Amino acid sequence: MENIIIKEVQDAPYYPVVNFNAEKGVCEISGESYMEETFKFYSPLLEWVKKFLKEKDSPLTLNFKLTYFNTNSSRLILDMLDIVKKNIEEGKKVVVNWFYDPADPDMIDEVEDFEMETGLDINLVEMQKN
Amino acid sequence: MVFKEGYDPENVVAYKGPLTVGLLSYLGNYLKSVIKAEHSLEKKIFRIFIELTQNVSYYSAETATIDNGVSSGVGWFTVKKSNNHFVITTGNLIIKSDGLKLINNCDEINSMNEAALRDLKRKTRSQAMERDVGAHIGLIQTSLLSKSKLNYKVTGLDDKYSYFTISVDIKD
Repeated sequence: MENIIIKEVQDAPYYPVVNFNAEKGVCEISGESYMEETFKFYSPLLEWVKKFLKEKDSPLTLNFKLTYFNTNSSRLILDMLDIVKKNIEEGKKVVVNWFYDPADPDMIDEVEDFEMETGLDINLVEMQKN
Repeated sequence: MVFKEGYDPENVVAYKGPLTVGLLSYLGNYLKSVIKAEHSLEKKIFRIFIELTQNVSYYSAETATIDNGVSSGVGWFTVKKSNNHFVITTGNLIIKSDGLKLINNCDEINSMNEAALRDLKRKTRSQAMERDVGAHIGLIQTSLLSKSKLNYKVTGLDDKYSYFTISVDIKD
């Protein structure tokens, strides 16, 4: 299974940085997400998660390190979390971590909303300042 | 709520034209660098700015195709600072028949408390289409983040079009 790596695009900070690694079983999305064609950007990421959970028995960790996402992006993030929830119910091992800035209470509300919508446990992890 | 020609000393940023994501990102980041507010307020202003301006970009009835062939909504926005609060206002053309739905959505949002709004946001999001979530959820999010009422106006122009302006107050 191929990895997905999307590096930081200069002058286009509306695309997040993506690193989905099949060997390690770790998916990481960081930065900001408010691109125009949200569905086009997220579709391959959703397919990757589905494929990993279908083909592999090893556990998967999702690390969200997004500092901003628009409501369009949040719809697709919700889809990803729904896929995870469904697979956990079928016995797969998936951990979802959300790295947050403690000085950003609005982001904590967003994570709570995702938890309520999906019924998934999301670990809130305080982001380390560089 | 109109886009005034000429210099307004309260304007931090004002723009009229096609709203591409590149322009919004550039000016949104410029805003972050000049408003010099508290960290959480700075984030809030940026997030509300993107939600409101992307609603114009996605749903304005007037569009323009720029150099790279991408079509973008046309409209305007202003970000004003007076004393300790910021006001973000946008304006764009809408199809007349969409006006009533927009009015109902804004009135519903303005009648709700925070808990009811979060509930509405979750419901609206889970029912939204993946490819196009619609303007409604952006307005709910704007109200939730600003903790203030949506100050909006729909003005009929002719048989086909109306004009939609919306303004929110963001305090520290």
